[in-house]
Amino acid sequence: MATLATPVAAAPVHADAPPTYAETTRDVIATLQPPGRKYFAGMALVLAGLAFGAFCWGYQLRYGLGVTGYQPPIFWGSYITTFVFWVGIAHSGTLISAILLLFRSGWRTAVYRAAEMMTVFAVMTAGLFPILHLGRAWYAYWVFPYPNFRGVWSNFRSPLVWDVFAISTYLTVSATFLTMGLIPDVAAVRDQARGWRKKLYGMLSFGWKGSDREWHHFGRMYLYLAGFATPLVLSVHSVVSWDFAMAIVPGWHATIFAPYFVAGAIFSGCGMVITILVPLRKAFRLERYIRVSHFESLAKVCLLTASIVAYAYATEFFMAWYSGNPFERASFYSRAFGQYWWATWIMLTCNAFIPQLLWFKKVRTSVPTLFVISIFINIGMWFERFVIIVTGLSHEYEPWQWSYYVPRWPELGILVGSFCWFSMWFLLAIKFLPSVAIAEMKEALPPPLKGEAHR
Amino acid sequence: MSAPAGVVGVFGRLDAAVEAVGSLKARGYANYRVYSPVPRPELADALAKKESPVRVFTLAGALCGTAFGFFYAIATSLDWPLITGGKPIISWPPFVVIGFETTILIGSLVTVGAMFLLAGLPKLGRAPGYDPRFSDDKFGVVAFGGPAQLAEARDLFRAAGAEEVKDV
Amino acid sequence: MERRRFLQVAGAAGVGVAAGCSPVSGERLLPYVNESDQLTPGIPEYYASTCRECPAGCGIVVKTREARAIKVEGNPQHPVGRGHLCARGQAALQGLYDPDRVRQPYRRTARGLEPVAWDEAIQAIGMSLGVAATSGPDRVALVTGAETGPLDAFYDEWLAAFRSRRRLRYEAFAYEPLREASQLTFGVAAVPEYDFAAAQYVLSFGADFLETWLSPVEYTRQFAEAHGWRDRRMTKFVAVEPRRGLTGYSADEWIAPKPGTEGLLALGIAASVLRHGKAELSGAEADRVHGFLSRFTSRAVADAAGVAESVIERVAREFAAARPSLAVTGGVAGQHRAATQTAAAVNLLNYVAGNVGRTVRYHGTSPWDRVSRYRDAVAWVAAMRAGSIDVAIVQGPNPAFTLPKSAGFADAFKKVGLKVALASHLDETAELCDYVLPDLTPLEQWGAVEPAAGVRSYVQPAMTPVFDDARQAADVLLAIAAKAGKPVGRGATGARDLVAAGQAPAALDHALQRGGTFAAAPARPVRLAPDFARLPYQAPAFDGDAGAPVLVVYPSAALYDGRGANKGWLQELPDGATRIAWQTWIEVHPQTAARLGVADGDVVAVTSPHGKVEALVYVYPGVRPDVVAMPIGQGHTAYGRNARGRGANPLELLGADATDASGALAFCSTRVTLAKTGRSVRLATTEGSPRQLGRGIARAVSTAGALAGRVEPGPEAAVTDAERAALAAAAASQRARAEIGVYAQPHPKWEMTIDLSRCTGCQACVTACYAENNIPVVGEEQVARHRGMAWLRLERYFEGDTSGSDFQVRQIPMLCQQCEAAPCEPVCPVYAAYHTPDGLNGQIYNRCVGTRYCANNCPYKVRYFNWWDYGRDGDPYFAFAEPLNWQLNPDVTVRTKGVMEKCTFCVQRIRFAQNDAKVRKRELADGDVTPACAQTCPADAIVFGDAHDPASRVSRLKGDARGYHVFDLLNTRPGITYLERVIADGEA
Repeated sequence: MATLATPVAAAPVHADAPPTYAETTRDVIATLQPPGRKYFAGMALVLAGLAFGAFCWGYQLRYGLGVTGYQPPIFWGSYITTFVFWVGIAHSGTLISAILLLFRSGWRTAVYRAAEMMTVFAVMTAGLFPILHLGRAWYAYWVFPYPNFRGVWSNFRSPLVWDVFAISTYLTVSATFLTMGLIPDVAAVRDQARGWRKKLYGMLSFGWKGSDREWHHFGRMYLYLAGFATPLVLSVHSVVSWDFAMAIVPGWHATIFAPYFVAGAIFSGCGMVITILVPLRKAFRLERYIRVSHFESLAKVCLLTASIVAYAYATEFFMAWYSGNPFERASFYSRAFGQYWWATWIMLTCNAFIPQLLWFKKVRTSVPTLFVISIFINIGMWFERFVIIVTGLSHEYEPWQWSYYVPRWPELGILVGSFCWFSMWFLLAIKFLPSVAIAEMKEALPPPLKGEAHR
Repeated sequence: MSAPAGVVGVFGRLDAAVEAVGSLKARGYANYRVYSPVPRPELADALAKKESPVRVFTLAGALCGTAFGFFYAIATSLDWPLITGGKPIISWPPFVVIGFETTILIGSLVTVGAMFLLAGLPKLGRAPGYDPRFSDDKFGVVAFGGPAQLAEARDLFRAAGAEEVKDV
Repeated sequence: MERRRFLQVAGAAGVGVAAGCSPVSGERLLPYVNESDQLTPGIPEYYASTCRECPAGCGIVVKTREARAIKVEGNPQHPVGRGHLCARGQAALQGLYDPDRVRQPYRRTARGLEPVAWDEAIQAIGMSLGVAATSGPDRVALVTGAETGPLDAFYDEWLAAFRSRRRLRYEAFAYEPLREASQLTFGVAAVPEYDFAAAQYVLSFGADFLETWLSPVEYTRQFAEAHGWRDRRMTKFVAVEPRRGLTGYSADEWIAPKPGTEGLLALGIAASVLRHGKAELSGAEADRVHGFLSRFTSRAVADAAGVAESVIERVAREFAAARPSLAVTGGVAGQHRAATQTAAAVNLLNYVAGNVGRTVRYHGTSPWDRVSRYRDAVAWVAAMRAGSIDVAIVQGPNPAFTLPKSAGFADAFKKVGLKVALASHLDETAELCDYVLPDLTPLEQWGAVEPAAGVRSYVQPAMTPVFDDARQAADVLLAIAAKAGKPVGRGATGARDLVAAGQAPAALDHALQRGGTFAAAPARPVRLAPDFARLPYQAPAFDGDAGAPVLVVYPSAALYDGRGANKGWLQELPDGATRIAWQTWIEVHPQTAARLGVADGDVVAVTSPHGKVEALVYVYPGVRPDVVAMPIGQGHTAYGRNARGRGANPLELLGADATDASGALAFCSTRVTLAKTGRSVRLATTEGSPRQLGRGIARAVSTAGALAGRVEPGPEAAVTDAERAALAAAAASQRARAEIGVYAQPHPKWEMTIDLSRCTGCQACVTACYAENNIPVVGEEQVARHRGMAWLRLERYFEGDTSGSDFQVRQIPMLCQQCEAAPCEPVCPVYAAYHTPDGLNGQIYNRCVGTRYCANNCPYKVRYFNWWDYGRDGDPYFAFAEPLNWQLNPDVTVRTKGVMEKCTFCVQRIRFAQNDAKVRKRELADGDVTPACAQTCPADAIVFGDAHDPASRVSRLKGDARGYHVFDLLNTRPGITYLERVIADGEA
């Protein structure tokens, strides 16, 4: 976007001094510069992966779910695992933008825009999986309760219908929240742009001018939206967890699931935020805005939620033993020492043990280390869902029907495709929308006052 | 050129803008407008607006959502009663989930709608006295009124420390 | 099918037979546009006939819809089977509709088999026959299966017309030792008729009478009567065999002697009975027997057989105490070089215990009397090798497959000038022939057989032939004879004339309607003949190096001698013992497996002095450590898509000259060595875990316990009475709140009871379910991935210490429990799973979107998902290749890709019966509705009915003290009540 303000110097003179309003505007808008070769290479890679995923799904649609590794009684596998994984990822976005807003914790401003983008795209990704895991995906719309000639509505007793409501609500609300937050920033971009872009951003900003009247109502609206998003984010993953907790499968049927899943979701989400912000910050030279202290705060959240998750694991095993229920006991014994021991121990290592490193400030403040840990967190949280779903189903009430499942290539292809789908949206977004909140960034800065030296 | 409808003062300093607003109010100006890149509490205090009515809409929306959720679940279940797992046709616990989600959904959408309504958005086209710098690092105060008032406003703005004062 | 319904339609059947079903007329099946006046669309017609899948000859009723046979069930009026049928019999349909059937005549040329016109073929064969007949006597050979009755006589007559007596009634399993032993002991060369129902104690020396032995369906029925728990008593069953098979699973005690020593054991027991003065002998006879038996002391026998002396003494006491008792032997698996001795010893044991004439009866004739012996087949092969046979006609059997390779059949057969196969399939033998003429399958044939003394059972076509160009063998032979100018058959123009010969049409029609004429035949008294003493009574020799395990080769309950190998239903039916389908395995004892370092699924090379095959290891506690076992039936090189190139044929390991005193092939005659190949294959088994870990799924209690009213405690024992009361209250309030809309009206509540003390695990119900409900056959690879679609499965759990022989086997048929509080229902987002007013778990296929949540939430794991498009032609897993699709039940949907399915309690039968009752303006009576599984169950273990009707059988049975629900603690309130098995303990 050559028609935008000139980019800042590679290395600002006073790097650690807080930036001024003008610098903020310029630095952030600079991220919308026309992308380079690396960007397009990455995009090409992502699109290729997406295409492969799409092919895998087409193949599955044509021949049936037989192409997957499903092996009764394991009727759910990598798809539901990945679904829950992405829903989990989605959570930290709303957590950071909404909950931390209510708590007025300052460090959110720098990271929340990226986190929110991540949220929306993660939900968009997660939403695909309940559909493509269906035996008859072409009838997926039947789960929506709409008047139809079949005369039958959907069964509101089914947790899957709760999912439909929870996920679609979550997508709508988080997308709205993102859009609202963008309005003043897009207006700022509009005022720096020329030509057709000015028109485009003009539309996107709804003609926002930043007048006292606008700010007055906007502030309230934003607050209430945050107020809604907060219980929503907690409910969504609770509902997702009830897909399992409401079933009578040993290893699923537990009251601990809702809080356990929410904690896990925030854990994985913050992990993913770190994974995304580190390269973003580097590529866009946003060191002055996304500071190490921000990463440290994220790391602290990870540490907290990791501890909750670890505690939940312990509780699960304890309850299985303490309940004396033979089915629960057998299920959890096989989880730890059965044929899926490898998955379980990957999960425990990545989610319970490795995050303990975050007790050390050195680790929390070393961005590369955090990046590596965040990768482990992502892997670990995918496996957490895999362990819960697959080991639970593999070792149920009927010993005669015990079985073993490993995903087959179409499933892995679709898993890869989902990451590419997510990345595609994210890559597009960071080039068209400010990935750091301009207005709120300024809000956090000291305002220019009389008598200050003119910087 | 015709007589100016208003005069805008461009401020580089927050406190200057606040001062300008304060003196405008002191002079009993009714018709003025403030542009700012960020919402600052200082400005809000100076303007001393009364509570935004968005919250009323929010509450109404939320309540409608709740009612709709439960009504929908119950009505559709009764439309063709099918027993599953021996559970009652109207099973409240699961319906709470539905009611909750619709509360949030409709509540937030109505809130956003209310904001657009009250803030008079979308407002495409130009606003009098608006300057692109107001979304960057400058504060703008626009005063409207008769020639005499405007002349007075110019002096006020300069006195408050406006970097630039111009007619619109 | 129930009796009344049968009578209603029988009339129509007779007419249908007379008019609609002349097999030689090549008319097509009626298309709907010009419908027949005998067909009412949607109303089935039934034809009584006789099952020809094995020589037992059970009476069957073929259900036809719109002139196509869609199901085979037992004939309730028939003395053999009494309305029940095994898996093999029901699978006759898949033989009828097999896409691999021979559809037209072929002639072998240099370029292989080429189509030829019937007349041409008959002309050529007729000429060669004429030449052969003129060139000398006995230059023509005719090979058929075990035939009796008019067609049998006709074959002999036909052969005589060509100056030959070379007739072979060839059966792979001909039970020669039984006949020879009867000759030696009683002077009657016949197979006796056994009465399991009357026996108070059953002692089986390796007879698999619940699988293939003589007349398995009838014996299962009788055995269940005796062995089932009724009136607070039951018959004890002790199985004496080195390998415990499905029959052995029903045994209350398993004694595993060294292979070959069964006879000695029988003699030891007889001696012990005698010693304790329990023998029913007197005078000189007693002295003679005493003199003979005196050398078989319990100690000596115990050492030889590897069985504890005390066990022999105890069994002898129990056997003698129970009057009458019954000892049987002669299973193929136990057929070693001393098989005749074993049979003679068992005859003697029965005689000593006074069972002969009570549970063991001899009649004037038995269907086995004239069946050729193995040595006859060998002689025939020798004659062919010597070039003294010009024309060989093979109708039915498949000697190229069932004779041991070392018999050199193929080479000898090549020496025959003209080889003709009258075959429905291009099997190994047909592939060697010069002419292959398409034969009809039994369901399209005319015939009459004598499966038991006094019983003349008719075979009649249930429909016009599936393939126009196929003709019944007898018709072809008639035509050939006519061409060769040798008038036979007294002017008969077809098989029907041969069958009808010398009978009044009215009488014949009546007989055809009932399925035959059933007269009681008097048993003939027999005395002990001393000849058996001639035989040397010691353990037989085994080929191969001592120390290597002995190979036990046993007939597959599903594939029999291999004739079932191209039928998908039978291939996919898990083996009774190992629960493996589609594959050839070798059973290895855990200790042996550990010694050899092999595990489940390892491919091992099995080598005997006579040959070598490869098989998959299945580690199995049901064999002695010094024994390995393999099933017969796989390893075809021809025959069809399901059979060809699958598994291995253990008969290739046998020595052709290993025979016993009766000239029977010794199937258990060689030791084998196992060598690892390094390869490993996933076993196509339905088994997840062989242990039920005290989860109370398949329960059993000892007789003492049952008498004391005790039951085996399940996990729900922990539930307190207070909790039970609370649960009951909750259930009541749920029911009250469920009184809404159509649910508020009065309805029946369909429920089922399954008596595990009767169930033998034969799996006839499984095949019945396949046939009734259009269940697709999915193939080896999918079964290996646990994706079999059988709505009803048999679970087999071992109980107790499986390191020795002292363990019990629990079996339980697991199908949808039709729970009242079904976990599967509420989780379905689209109401595809819901509860019907009459208490069924409805599964609405066309609503289902395939979330599979219901299957996850089903604790019984009885929901099955359509992973592929089994019903769509062209799909990789299409299961109903033309004309198999003709068999599909029009009352049941063929499910599409991506939907869940499960047992429906045969809802289509429920609705048919309800509508039928409505049409006839009467109330539905108990027994009017019978699901396919309950209908066919030879043990009559499954009872179905309305639980709201206090008088119904099911209501009465579910109240039995032995009744329990699986996973009762989950409070699913199942609609199926299982009745605990009772295991006879101690001295019965």
